[in-house]
Amino acid sequence: MATVVSQAPLEEQGLMRVLKSPRTARILFPFAVLAVWYFIYYTIDSRIFPSPQQVLEFMWEEVTLTSGISYGSVVENLYGQFAISIMRLTIGFFVALIMGTVIGLAMGISKAADAFFHDWVMAVLAMPALVWALFLGLWLGFGNLGPILAVILAGIPFVIINVREGVRNTPKDLFDMAHAFGVPQNKVTRHVLLPSLMPFFFAAIRYAYAIGWKGLVITEVFASDRGMGWTIKFWYDAHRAHGVIGYALFFVIFALALEKLVFDPLADRAFKWRPKIDVVEMAEGDFGAVASEGFLLQESEADEVVSMKSMEGEPRDG
Amino acid sequence: MAEIKVENLHKEFGVGEDRVVALEKVNMQVQGHVFVSIVGPSGCGKSTLLNILSGIETPSSGTVTITQDNREAEPGYVFQAARLLPWRTVMDNLLFVQKDRSDATRERCQKYLDMVQLGDKGDKYPGELSGGMQQRVGIARAFSIEPDVLFMDEPFSHLDAITARSLRRELHDMWVQTRKTVLFVTHDVGEAVELSNRILVFAKGGRLEDDLQIDLPFPRDAANEDVAVAKAQVLRKFEELDLVAT
Repeated sequence: MATVVSQAPLEEQGLMRVLKSPRTARILFPFAVLAVWYFIYYTIDSRIFPSPQQVLEFMWEEVTLTSGISYGSVVENLYGQFAISIMRLTIGFFVALIMGTVIGLAMGISKAADAFFHDWVMAVLAMPALVWALFLGLWLGFGNLGPILAVILAGIPFVIINVREGVRNTPKDLFDMAHAFGVPQNKVTRHVLLPSLMPFFFAAIRYAYAIGWKGLVITEVFASDRGMGWTIKFWYDAHRAHGVIGYALFFVIFALALEKLVFDPLADRAFKWRPKIDVVEMAEGDFGAVASEGFLLQESEADEVVSMKSMEGEPRDG
Repeated sequence: MAEIKVENLHKEFGVGEDRVVALEKVNMQVQGHVFVSIVGPSGCGKSTLLNILSGIETPSSGTVTITQDNREAEPGYVFQAARLLPWRTVMDNLLFVQKDRSDATRERCQKYLDMVQLGDKGDKYPGELSGGMQQRVGIARAFSIEPDVLFMDEPFSHLDAITARSLRRELHDMWVQTRKTVLFVTHDVGEAVELSNRILVFAKGGRLEDDLQIDLPFPRDAANEDVAVAKAQVLRKFEELDLVAT
């Protein structure tokens, strides 16, 4: 008699399937946060800890400019403070990107350049943003230059390291192929070198932006008289937690919006050649491979995992 | 007519105690519409020879000339792994190695994609294809520049037996249709006997040990008695030369 050794798992039905889906999990997360928030609000007796409604009301008043609060003499509202921070972030971000790419390329190509910059990059990477904030405040006062430099200093090591790794990981076998077919150098640069650097460059952009934001806000807290960081400190000094949390949420919403509306579509366009896979499944299945190189090279690591799978997969045709 | 002439070709890697001789004073000549296989054990310099012929590596000494009717011949190359640009579509991978992107060039590329039965996959990315299909694209790419000579470096060694067998048949048909000069590196004696007019046997240390003619009619089937006998003869030669790994 035949014995069943292995069989396909039974399809999960109805409610269980809905509960286990990633989409449900994503929708559930904000509700879980709210539940915890309410729990703390009602169990801990505090005059300062705000309820979610208080925070939302505050944010709405700020957005509609109906709170009647004016911040400082030059810029008076949310939009003014935001505009200043974004201006500082954008300038710092692009300077970090351009300088970091040039230094990263030099370090990837030349061993001497690598030796020259290596310790310097590690030192900048190791320095806490708070130290930059205090030092830049003392040195440059409360103008724009300090916060812009903070963005550059926070972001540039991530750009340098990613670009350098990208150059070191360029696919030699594809260059050899192009050489064997006598493809001219400018075509090789355009079709082989640049696309192979793209995953590393995207990782650099995301990190420089995210870490740059953090450097900016902390510098604005200590060494600025305007901007988002300064506004958060304003509410802190006033002992109004709803203001601190409200502005922190503005900050988070902006960061998420930029990620979803700018970086994700750009990445989708640049990497449409990648085989479509279930990201969650891959992260679970190949977690070791994705996590092994730490967090710096996430984008490129994911790329490697995919390409290894697709290049070495079992042939499927006849 | 294409001609490959190799004279006193010598190639070493490393210096001092690390010195390794990959090719030792190799002399050979290949002419016209022939399919020549280069067989030998791992590390006998087969791939190094092909890399030198295609200009990826330079020789330590000796000369290599590849001519087509007294001009420099244009070679095509099929690698062990397909070596496709993963960020370009199949058609763009073929166009990447062309001199222009004119309509005539596109039509030619399409013709060779049709020949390897991937005519409808031009807009797919390599990652969307199986290993066998990727290797077919690699073959179409090499043929699409209409080279005078074709170098192939163990192109089927990564594939399963059934896929490799069907690709061997396709390759043979394309060789008959296009009348190219093919230099085919393999460690599979059966494959060499099925495909070639001539087999060059290399030994460890990069020495050219023997030059065998295989005068059997095409197409050759592995199950055919004559083919099996020829294969046994080549293997015996290997034993005589002490090339069989023990």
